[in-house]
Amino acid sequence: MAEKKKLSVAEILAAARKADSGGATAASESPATSPADVAPAEPAEVSAEAAVESTPAETPAPTAPKPATTGTPGKRPSVADILAAARQKQAPGAAAPAAKPAAAKPAAKPPGDKPANPAAKPAAGEAAPRGSGVKDTASILAAARGGNKPGPISKAEAAALTKPAAPARTTEKTKLAVPPMPAKPQYAATKPGEKKAVETEERRGFLGAFFGAFMGSFLGLGFSSLAATNALWGLGTARFMFPNVLIEPPSTFKVGPPTDFPPGAVSEKFKAQFGVWVVNGEYNGQQQLYAIRTVCTHLGCTPNWLEGEQKFKCPCHGSGFYKDGVNFEGPAPRPLERYAIRLADDGQLEIDKSKKFQEELGQWRDPSCFVVA
Amino acid sequence: MHGHDPHFYESIQGFLGSYYLVLSIMNAVAALYLWRRLGRWLEAALLVVLFGGGFVVLSGIAYGGGTRVLGLPQSFKDFVNANTGPVIYTLGTTAVLVIFFVFRRFFTKPAVAWVSLNLALLFMGLSMTDPNFSLIVTKPDNVPIVGLIFLLGFFTWLATYKAVLNDDRLAQGLPPLEKEDSEKVLVWPDLVYTELICMIALTALLLVWAIGLKAPLEAPASSVKTPNPSKAPWYFLGLQEMLVYYDPWMAGVVLPSLVLVGLMAIPFLDFNKKGNGYYTIAERPFGYIIFQLGFLELWITLIILGTFLRGPNWNFFGPYEYWDPHKVLALNNKDLSQFFWVDLLDSGLPKAPSDSGTLVQLGYILKRECVGFVGLAVYFVLLPPILAMTVFRKFFARMGFIRYMLMSNLLLFMAALPLKMVLRWVFNLKYIVHIDEYFLNF
Repeated sequence: MAEKKKLSVAEILAAARKADSGGATAASESPATSPADVAPAEPAEVSAEAAVESTPAETPAPTAPKPATTGTPGKRPSVADILAAARQKQAPGAAAPAAKPAAAKPAAKPPGDKPANPAAKPAAGEAAPRGSGVKDTASILAAARGGNKPGPISKAEAAALTKPAAPARTTEKTKLAVPPMPAKPQYAATKPGEKKAVETEERRGFLGAFFGAFMGSFLGLGFSSLAATNALWGLGTARFMFPNVLIEPPSTFKVGPPTDFPPGAVSEKFKAQFGVWVVNGEYNGQQQLYAIRTVCTHLGCTPNWLEGEQKFKCPCHGSGFYKDGVNFEGPAPRPLERYAIRLADDGQLEIDKSKKFQEELGQWRDPSCFVVA
Repeated sequence: MHGHDPHFYESIQGFLGSYYLVLSIMNAVAALYLWRRLGRWLEAALLVVLFGGGFVVLSGIAYGGGTRVLGLPQSFKDFVNANTGPVIYTLGTTAVLVIFFVFRRFFTKPAVAWVSLNLALLFMGLSMTDPNFSLIVTKPDNVPIVGLIFLLGFFTWLATYKAVLNDDRLAQGLPPLEKEDSEKVLVWPDLVYTELICMIALTALLLVWAIGLKAPLEAPASSVKTPNPSKAPWYFLGLQEMLVYYDPWMAGVVLPSLVLVGLMAIPFLDFNKKGNGYYTIAERPFGYIIFQLGFLELWITLIILGTFLRGPNWNFFGPYEYWDPHKVLALNNKDLSQFFWVDLLDSGLPKAPSDSGTLVQLGYILKRECVGFVGLAVYFVLLPPILAMTVFRKFFARMGFIRYMLMSNLLLFMAALPLKMVLRWVFNLKYIVHIDEYFLNF
């Protein structure tokens, strides 16, 4: 028996008490669940004899003498009373009180809401311990858990009520779509050996129910169109990432002849458009022309070239770099990066921003990142 | 003191006059309250004569055009400018907070607190006649922060005041004040009315603020032009200060996450059941001190530092100093590996041959940074057990291994920030472990 919600012992006892006081009427009002209705719904679990056994438990309920509570209907029975009553139920004739939770379930629901099935489940649950002949506290509690909690219910509980109790073994979904099968006669009841065939049928039914619910309903339609829209949107975004025309400066550009950059000068002319300082400076004892990327290696701000102090200084966290781009103060962990530079055929310096050179990786030794001045 | 509005003193006199007038009215109201409600007429009279009268006089001078007289002496300002640096500032605020904490019984006395508030406001008013100070404090971005400082001071005082009262009561065996005052009130009308009034007052304040202070709009954004100084929103200035000492992934990702995780972990680490629902310091000194250290010292003072004392190029400027973008400070710093290999052993940094494989290079990196790794291991691995055996013996016994290790590691990470700051200032140390090949620095 599938447990949908966990009830505390206190709740179970309270529920059992209520069921005891109000259950007599509930049982008489409840649609008489015939054994035929109960048995086929649970072919795998409920054996024929168990189903037969469960019926007398329900039918004599209104008239059966209740050991503790009949005298004073309004009074609450003690725990001991409930347990004693439940144990008495072992004798099929006097089984009324413990059957109450089971009988109370259909009564608590609006009529016409699948009356046959939920009633069958608790009955089946009770059938098992009764078959074993022992009725200990744990099994009573388990039985009570399966039953309904009378009185006001929370949303979660209501949801648990309307849901099928054992989704794996039942064909509730199919029942939503098709009218209930006529009761199978005794001789046609499934035998344990035929379990496999039944399962395949259920699986097929499950698939049918699944696609029925998701393709044939407005909910399914909504989600399908949502998925389709999202897919289209994703494709459009992917296309957006590869525009036909790139409106940005070319990654390779010429900055003029080397004579434009006298020794020791830092040219800021190309900072705004290309994000590059062209420097004629000394690195490792060699006078070089190189292009420095204007991005701080700490957190990516744009440093400023301070002519008076002869250093690049970042305004965000105070990182400082020498003219050759090597960091010396503040938190920047590594030198500024260089771009590729070369002397083009027409005598101009050409910078290629698609290639970067990092000093800490030893890439500044690469002759394509400087031009010897 | 250059490049300022020549009419600065005239421009500030209206503000200063009304500022002092408001202060004197504030004192008059306080005196009235003392006299009528508490019946302490002597103190009320003192308050009126000393502060109420004094502020009225100052207000008159300011309105009369005498703002030049109402300033602090230039020698004092020069002294302050020359002596404030990150070190003095941090040590000074720490010392002040410690003094406040140790002598909290004295400082939380309402009379002392009120006089301190008046003196602080007076000091602020006197400082406002300095063009550089006034320029920074009256920046539309910074005005609310000034207000927040006073608000924070008030709430810290209030909490400490109640805690001191409660500690006295608990020492006498009485229940805390909050337990006595546990009378229930109705949501309607008591709470809802209060909320309504607060809502209206806040809306009015926001309206006045929005009209009175212009939004600090700047030039259109440009990817190549960063404002100098470039400041985060005020509530992130503590983080920005942290970024000066740590690598971005450390100060921007790991440490802030640890702050959040650590705050969330407090209920699971805390084994002290006392102090629940009332203010107290004596019953939970460890929790109180650690929290106030983290909040006031490592967050609030760093925000104030970032807001008022960090100028162009993220250099440190004194409160009365001109924000010169060409100020030069000697901030050259070095990594621990350089200290060890170059300065101590007088050899070059271990460097893998250029044609070696990745594993060989990794080995060389490990060799280069071995001192840093050993240091970190000592700090994060060896220190918790040592602390457990010495300072935190009782904590370890009560918390158990896992909770204690969590607590001590969080604590060590918290302490790592001020430690790194001190190392930077004293030894010009940049990074303890510095693997820029893999963007891994600590």
